Amino acid sequence: VTAPAELDRPEVDEVVDQDRPWVAIVWNDPVNLMSYVTHVLMQLFGYSRSEAHRLMLAVHHEGRAVVSNGTREQMEHDVARLHAKGLWATLQQD
Amino acid sequence: VRFLRRRGELELQGDREEAAALASVVGQLLRLLTDDDATPSDDPLAALVGLSVTDARRPDDPALARLFPDAYDTSTPEGESAAGDFRRFTEADLRAGKRANADAVLESLAALAEDGRRVALDDAAAEAWLGCLNDVRLVLGTRLEVTEDTYDEMASLRRDDPRSALLLLYAQLGYLQEALLECLDGG
Repeated sequence: VTAPAELDRPEVDEVVDQDRPWVAIVWNDPVNLMSYVTHVLMQLFGYSRSEAHRLMLAVHHEGRAVVSNGTREQMEHDVARLHAKGLWATLQQD
Repeated sequence: VRFLRRRGELELQGDREEAAALASVVGQLLRLLTDDDATPSDDPLAALVGLSVTDARRPDDPALARLFPDAYDTSTPEGESAAGDFRRFTEADLRAGKRANADAVLESLAALAEDGRRVALDDAAAEAWLGCLNDVRLVLGTRLEVTEDTYDEMASLRRDDPRSALLLLYAQLGYLQEALLECLDGG
């Protein structure tokens, strides 16, 4: 049998601020079809068609929309999934 | 080529010439995704765990930069560094996924060329088509510097405009992707 090695855990230098979650943002671009953006938002995040449509229109008219929020790790995962679908996405702390 | 739902099944239809024309375009995407391939990592630790650590730099080619965008606002040094880390650990998978989509599309186009009329697409193949058509449009759109007014401007494009053939292809692929979405979402 074995036991895990004792590790000096590094100090957590990112203070987890519950009031300031990270967000994933989708940015407007002239190529992606409106119907495709709606399809991807439904598929990746389980949004209803009307909610996904509303977010797509926010991207289209306002240039960007927050589509997801959570920890930094979760948002990196979401942004990677959005990039896999060809959407232009970034993450940042809200 | 076109998409059709027949008795609930999604079908790709078209003749050999159409299949060959589209396969040529998708083949160019595949080459773009392959030529620029990251060199395997020399990092023995990364090799040990099978992590493919890629170049952390944003691609110089605007079309590749659009397929592999920065995940962080890079206007600050912190953002630049975070974007580099993100790229280092995600880009190889992202690239592999796009290549797999293109391979799946080429496979169904080869089947279509063989049959000469129609080939069934399952859910996975349909998603691969959707992603691949989008990637081709992103590359074409970036190269042609399209804007949201491009479709309106096409009507007044001169016949001898060097962009007209590619813009027509770009528009046709847009219709094709839209038709596939209608088949999938019933929208």
